[in-house]
Amino acid sequence: MKMTYFELKKIFSKPGNKIALILLAVTLCIASSFAIGDVFYVDENGERSTGITAASPLRKAKNEWAGYITEDVLRKVLEENALINNSEEYLSTDIIENEKAFSKKQGFRDIRELINLAYCGFQEYNYFRADSVTQEEIRSFYGRRTATLTEWLNSNEQEGRFSEREKQFLIAQYEKLETPFYYEYADGWKELLAYAPTIIMLVMLITAFLVSGIFSDEIQLKADSIFFSARFGRNKAVAAKIKAGFIAVTVIYWTMILLYSGVVLAVLGTGGANRAIQISSANWKSFYNITFLQDYLLTVLGGYLGNLFILFLSMLVSAKTHSKALAVTIPFILLFIPSFLSGISVLSEILGLLPDQLLQVCNAVKTFNLYQLGTKVIGAVPIIFIMYFILFCILLPILYLVYQKTEIK
Amino acid sequence: MKLILDNLTKKFGKFVAVDHINLTMTNGVYGLLGVNGAGKTTLMRMLCTLLKPTGGTIRCDGKDIFKMDGEYRNLLGYLPQDFGFYPEFTVKDYLLYIAAIKGIRPVVAQERSKELIARVGLTKVANKKLKKLSGGMKRRAGIAQAMLNNPQILILDEPTAGLDPSERIRFRNLISELSEDRLVLLSTHIVSDIEYVANEILMMDDGAIVNHGTLDEILSAMPEKVWNCTVPQQSVPEITKKYKVSNMKAENHGVDLRIISAKKPCETAICVHPSLEDVFLYYFGEKVGDENDLL
Repeated sequence: MKMTYFELKKIFSKPGNKIALILLAVTLCIASSFAIGDVFYVDENGERSTGITAASPLRKAKNEWAGYITEDVLRKVLEENALINNSEEYLSTDIIENEKAFSKKQGFRDIRELINLAYCGFQEYNYFRADSVTQEEIRSFYGRRTATLTEWLNSNEQEGRFSEREKQFLIAQYEKLETPFYYEYADGWKELLAYAPTIIMLVMLITAFLVSGIFSDEIQLKADSIFFSARFGRNKAVAAKIKAGFIAVTVIYWTMILLYSGVVLAVLGTGGANRAIQISSANWKSFYNITFLQDYLLTVLGGYLGNLFILFLSMLVSAKTHSKALAVTIPFILLFIPSFLSGISVLSEILGLLPDQLLQVCNAVKTFNLYQLGTKVIGAVPIIFIMYFILFCILLPILYLVYQKTEIK
Repeated sequence: MKLILDNLTKKFGKFVAVDHINLTMTNGVYGLLGVNGAGKTTLMRMLCTLLKPTGGTIRCDGKDIFKMDGEYRNLLGYLPQDFGFYPEFTVKDYLLYIAAIKGIRPVVAQERSKELIARVGLTKVANKKLKKLSGGMKRRAGIAQAMLNNPQILILDEPTAGLDPSERIRFRNLISELSEDRLVLLSTHIVSDIEYVANEILMMDDGAIVNHGTLDEILSAMPEKVWNCTVPQQSVPEITKKYKVSNMKAENHGVDLRIISAKKPCETAICVHPSLEDVFLYYFGEKVGDENDLL
């Protein structure tokens, strides 16, 4: 325990690392303010407010539409929408007047968005599509979700991308989703998830500066001879370094994530936690039938596993090459290389399994990365969780053995 | 405590750094002498399990030290030649950390580090960060860490390098104090340090031990004699080409020379007692500088 304490002291006493901690605090403030600031509310006078002041009236307006999105509710949305579209405010050329009209749509804005998505092609979007949906058409609202998917899967552009089994899997997943959806205000979770990948990635990049020197610093500082000639220098002291790395990554990650989540949810509210993510337009197409709370848990747990895997890989490079500079580039490479390669469609299957996906599970649940294991079709998300957990478990003894065998030449 | 080096060899590619060394060491102070690149540090690193030998074994009381692993390192205290610290640690923190990795219980570590801080004269700076200490103070912290576990085998690689004369003397005395009832292996370029503290001298060249014994044995075994003479300034270049000159001092009436030679180098030369420096020059003279240099 004492060894681990001193290893942690080595990490946190370095002036460069103290700056990194300040940077983390700044990152937290910026990400939280962006997430909160994204929420806006337009009052009946057409005046727009954002953030804390917008959260409460917006919640009130949206929760007036809380309940199951039945055919009646959808019809009511179409009626209200049409009524507002024919109002003087809506037809006016004055922006303030238009904002007044928009303020009346705020409560059902999310449901209106779902109608837009349901009645556009699978890969299309038309903001005004809901305006032309008829009372007759709206009957097929839930059926449209599966129908557009089927149409898209069978289109020429998707030829060869999915096997028959995969197509069936996707359609079955869509059909499994419980309908009618229950709607309620869930902007707290939506905004929380929108910026979660950013904060998770930034935490990882900054933490890399803190932990990538745990192993190489011994050599860089020329303290290695004394370290390795000590009684526990090739066993318990190496384990203490691994423990310190684990504690540092864990404490930093969860402190940042819990503070971020706490601040955003405290301001924007926790309502909608148990609602299907498909009530949000961003997740309408997702084949993962999960709630916002489950999406959040998968995102933060995935982020944690991703941070552990990537940062321990960085530590392994540091232990093997004795170079902190090289080690610190590993997270950058793993994070940015997939972005450069994303344009190459043949690589999409591989890219869906790279560790950066763990840092953005809430985005991964929106993608159609499927893998066939024998006769079973599985989405990328469960695979990356299992795969990187196993890889992380393998990484630990490798790191231990690599550093333990260091020779001082 | 007995350390036996049996055919100990270390190669780096084709370069043989340590060449089939056979040596037995028991309690006492061993002075390891040799020019740069002789293989002293490589030998010491193998003795500290920092490097694995290419061939041969090192046995401690009959057991292979690499198989003993932590059990052997528990007996070991090591002060490397070029060693670093954790700059943000205080002297106290540093010693407590090293005590922890040496497996010393925290309560004992507190007492032991306090005692050693006092012994090496660092009490006033015990709570100062290591980065703020002078080179001499850092060396003292270095010897304190080596002594934390009261080692049976103490290995000191160039412990007095970079110290001023008074610090060097203090350090030398400290080593003498610490050398009771343990095996101390001391490597240095400073011949006088070894002359003062070593019970046995090991002379190393090209990875091999070329000569070893007590100071008297080493001195008496020197095949050539040492001569003192005063010669005119103009004959100095000729003499330095012909003989090994261990000392040269300009005087009003000429230059006083200390010459190593089997034969009397000049008529006025007087045979004197050899010193360890003379022996060092005799064995390693050609390797210290260029062939035709004066210094």
